[in-house]
Amino acid sequence: MTNTKNIYKPIKAKLTEVIDESPLIKTFVLVPEEEFSFGTGQFIELSVDGIGEAPFTPSSSPHVTDKLEVTVMKTGYVTEIMHSLKPGVYMGVRGPFGRGYPVEVFYGKEVLILGGGCGLAPIRSLLYALEHVKDNLEKVILCYGSKTPSDCIYKPLFSRLNSIEKFEAYRTVDRVEEGWDGSVGVVTTLLNKIKINLMNSIAVVCGPPIMMKFGTIRLLEMGYKDDQIYLSMEKNMSCGLGKCGHCMMGEFFVCKDGPVFTYNELRNTPDIWK
Amino acid sequence: MQYLSIKKEEWDKAIEQLLLSYIIFAAVDNEFGIDYEIVNSENIGRISYNKAKPATSLKTFFLPVKENVTSGAPLKKQRVIIGAPNCDIQGLKLLDEIYLDKDFNDIFYRERRENTILISIDCFDKQEHCHCTSYGIKPWSDADADLAMIRTGDLIVLRIISPKGQDFVNQFSLVQALRDENIISEIDKAHKKAESLLIESNKGLPDYKATGIIVKNAGDEIWKRYSARCVSCGACATICPTCTCFLLIDKPGFEKIKQLDACQYPGFERVAGGEDSLNELPRRFRNRYMCKYVWKPQKFSSIACTGCGRCIEACIGKINKNELFMELAPGRS
Amino acid sequence: MKLTIDDLKKIRFFEGYSDKQLETILMMSSIKEFKVKDILFEQYDELSEVYVLLEGSLSLGISLAKEKRIHLGSIEEGQLFSWSAVFTPYISTAWVMAMAPAKVIAIDAKRLNNEIEKDCDFGFKTMSKIAQTISHRLSDTRFQLMNQMIL
Repeated sequence: MTNTKNIYKPIKAKLTEVIDESPLIKTFVLVPEEEFSFGTGQFIELSVDGIGEAPFTPSSSPHVTDKLEVTVMKTGYVTEIMHSLKPGVYMGVRGPFGRGYPVEVFYGKEVLILGGGCGLAPIRSLLYALEHVKDNLEKVILCYGSKTPSDCIYKPLFSRLNSIEKFEAYRTVDRVEEGWDGSVGVVTTLLNKIKINLMNSIAVVCGPPIMMKFGTIRLLEMGYKDDQIYLSMEKNMSCGLGKCGHCMMGEFFVCKDGPVFTYNELRNTPDIWK
Repeated sequence: MQYLSIKKEEWDKAIEQLLLSYIIFAAVDNEFGIDYEIVNSENIGRISYNKAKPATSLKTFFLPVKENVTSGAPLKKQRVIIGAPNCDIQGLKLLDEIYLDKDFNDIFYRERRENTILISIDCFDKQEHCHCTSYGIKPWSDADADLAMIRTGDLIVLRIISPKGQDFVNQFSLVQALRDENIISEIDKAHKKAESLLIESNKGLPDYKATGIIVKNAGDEIWKRYSARCVSCGACATICPTCTCFLLIDKPGFEKIKQLDACQYPGFERVAGGEDSLNELPRRFRNRYMCKYVWKPQKFSSIACTGCGRCIEACIGKINKNELFMELAPGRS
Repeated sequence: MKLTIDDLKKIRFFEGYSDKQLETILMMSSIKEFKVKDILFEQYDELSEVYVLLEGSLSLGISLAKEKRIHLGSIEEGQLFSWSAVFTPYISTAWVMAMAPAKVIAIDAKRLNNEIEKDCDFGFKTMSKIAQTISHRLSDTRFQLMNQMIL
């Protein structure tokens, strides 16, 4: 059976809403023109017509199929132009690509999620997915750190999480601002106060490379085994198809073998935190 | 192995006839050496036989430097490529693994592959930097091409390799089975001679697997030293039969242009935040060898360096990777 | 409020001690409560007690000059602080302030040190836990430093 699908051709998606999350971060609500679904933790290549494309992990629930939400931080040429877009324009979507979070593997376990900065975007999608199957989970704990209180995106998320049975959410900031009375310090300090059964737990880490490095080291110190730690490696994905070579990390194509890896898969790969 | 033969003048006439139904490319002798040209009635006489090798590898025919992958139309017309050496035929196998994988099948590559008949040549000599035998590749094809072609005197001998090759040859009315045992044994002898020549001139060069080990364990100093003359022109990656990294460039109307790229260009790994893990030249230089000899073998079963030596010929800084490998080979002081 | 060894067992810091060792700790401890903005101790104060936070929220920091406090981070429930009380010259490396009403276990440092010398097993366990607390604090500080460098 010959496959005639063109793997390079994007589908069109209408930008229906732009939500301001923070000075540098916006969430785009997109309605694809064709049927589109993704697994939590998979990514898409989102393009601005004629300008360029960039990889993003959708931040919406994988169970909502008529639209998808993508949280975009302004960091370079393409994302700067994305930030200037108004609802009504069409964007291009290719995907979904890669290996996402294996939610069924988490059944029966206590899930500890360590997040930092913009890593909260893929984590939010995972939280929605976990909420959907919460009867199959023992516990879900989110520990999240942002640079300042205003850098934290999806602010209503934390109080909502704490009101869901089996879910706990903790926040910390690197630097305080007026009105902040919560924890201060790097996100690893939150690990001191959580109560978790290590024997029946898995950990998910998602955030900037430095945070992932220190987070993983602390989790290993706590007693997590290499195959209990799930890392979301975002690395220069371009074609998403395991062909163009830009996302190669040692022998792995992050776009195909990842972006979600367990630590034991990456243990011998050099420079994963660069 | 089934051998057929046809008189050379009949062969030339037959090719001219085929121009009506196929696009034909052949490796021809030119003022610089050998390279591919589109065949027409004028250059049929210059088609090169029995010697290594066209300057361009087969990669160009299947992965153009630039192509439109959204509104471009996949190739439908049949084509024939005459004159590919076995190193290039073997190099195609890695491209097949990457572009024809079951999850993401590239229709443009697939159409080109399916609509192309590959006629390889047997190399009875070598160019200065040929080292296919060091990596387990013979200087002649008995697999993976469709036909192989040898010129002996005024006869063209064809080795049928694939059913597609057989079907192609069935169009030639004047082709007959080769029964002359002398010719076949002469060909065998010439094969052995070519192999010995290659093995002898590449003595001391570690094999593919051993090269992977020494590349992985090499210290920083050797990469610094050998990359001193590198200007990141990317010629090595461009000319290489197995280097296929590319960029996807957006054009208005959600069009995408696929354009070959090279890890040797600065900025290959640069991300939006500004970090570029291959920014330093020695590191970038090393990356290509790690990819070819260490990482690709972990992921793919096809070989990622076929020993064609074009990278050594093309380098404007005259950097020779084989000198580097021989310097690091165990047993050398 | 009277603490029992079962209360201590719920706190990660006290994991691994035998019941007898926990009884010993209880005998040298008391509960202390603090209001918002109370200073538990200043940087460079001489310390006589080691604390474990039971409830509430504390901030730890350093001072560049009087009244110029720099908050470095929070102390979370279950965490040990004021470990300088165990090592000469027993001078605090930071100040600690209550950010919310807080309850701490205060352990007499002199009696703790005596027990460390007397009971090798207890001493090894206690020193390991203190070392780990300091190691984590150092690692977190380096993490913070790297964050600042990237900015």
